[in-house]
Amino acid sequence: MSISEEKLNELLSKKNQADLLVETLGQLRVIRNKEELNDKSWGRDKALQLFEFLVTARNRMALHKEQIIARIWEDASQKEGDNNFKVALHGINKALEPERKSRTEPKYISRQGLTYRLKKEIVWIDVDAVDELIEFANEQLEINVDLSILALKEATKLFQGIYLPNRIYEDWATVERERLQVLILGAYILLGELLLGSNPLESIRLAQNALQMDQTWEDAHRLLMNAYMHKGNRPSAIKAYKNCVKILDKEFGIEPLPETEKLYQEIVSG
Amino acid sequence: MSKRINETVSFVVRFTQKIFEDKNGEANVQWRGKISHVQGSDQKNFIEFEDALKFIQEKLDQLTIANIDGKTDEEKEGILTKSWDIWNKMSKAYPKMVLDAIKDPKAQVSQIQEQIAQVSGELSQKIEIDSWRPPSKADYHKLEEMMGQMSDQMKTLNKKLDDLSKKKSK
Repeated sequence: MSISEEKLNELLSKKNQADLLVETLGQLRVIRNKEELNDKSWGRDKALQLFEFLVTARNRMALHKEQIIARIWEDASQKEGDNNFKVALHGINKALEPERKSRTEPKYISRQGLTYRLKKEIVWIDVDAVDELIEFANEQLEINVDLSILALKEATKLFQGIYLPNRIYEDWATVERERLQVLILGAYILLGELLLGSNPLESIRLAQNALQMDQTWEDAHRLLMNAYMHKGNRPSAIKAYKNCVKILDKEFGIEPLPETEKLYQEIVSG
Repeated sequence: MSKRINETVSFVVRFTQKIFEDKNGEANVQWRGKISHVQGSDQKNFIEFEDALKFIQEKLDQLTIANIDGKTDEEKEGILTKSWDIWNKMSKAYPKMVLDAIKDPKAQVSQIQEQIAQVSGELSQKIEIDSWRPPSKADYHKLEEMMGQMSDQMKTLNKKLDDLSKKKSK
């Protein structure tokens, strides 16, 4: 087994090794020792909210309690904020470690003075896995395309929907949601292009996924046209082009890029 | 506990850059934008940043109107006036549009835009840059007439706003 293959295996096996799994894409699922936590496990929504915030802020240094309160409960008075935080933190620790003995250190939430963070090194989080797989796929593009395809397939499989859909109106989750959408759009297109020759049907599906996320994504329109041509379906390729023209005109009042026009000319001229 | 009011409007702006060669073989660049309103989840695609500004203004206006509900007419007027003053400073090119957006979100904005475009068109036709000359009396008259029209329009809009406020307070 090559070093690259070993690295990919290592990335893929992380999920099996962690005893706490957090899925944030499409819907929040928290699985502890292979058992999924339900709404009741969290007690109040505040606990879930704080947990989701700590997951979102996982790549930052530990955050001061005041900073956390200001981001999540910005309208709360100091007393309310402190109370919310206390209740929420207790809820998290109870949900994640119901059998933890009192006065012992929580396993997943690290506390130093008044700063807190999620110990992401012992937790498997889907968005981190997506990041690592896409990074690996990009590295492998010029070394081993097959491994790149494999990693991209795994990454796109993990994308079950937008980041924390239950927090779409919260400021603090927005940046991460936008970052992931753009990352996944890129992954769909790259994987779709890599699969054009071997599996154009899958390229069609990936292009459609990208367009569902952003109907103005011109790379996805072009991928769709190309994929239909690889399937030998010229009418659908032409239809895809016309749809692209219509959407770009409606949304931006612009024409497709010369690259798209050129592809269309190639399609019609056979 | 008193009712909490929403005081925050957030936006995410995404730009996608496209660099391409146009039909004449000239290198070209295009910025495609998308602005999303976080609290309301509306989105708008744009090429001109002015369109993004309009989108932001609409949302800010909605927030102001929502937050002055229940106040007296006098207070409402004061808050709206102050809010517009801030906008005058922040976005000099669009103060009137804020007013329009508050009253009748799209129709009046586009109407005034059309009028401005028409006036600019007329002016550019009248004063050729190559034959530049000091403005004549006729030009002054024309400008006066246009400013008068705009001032009347502002008055009408203000009246509409007052009526709207009165209706709400009833």
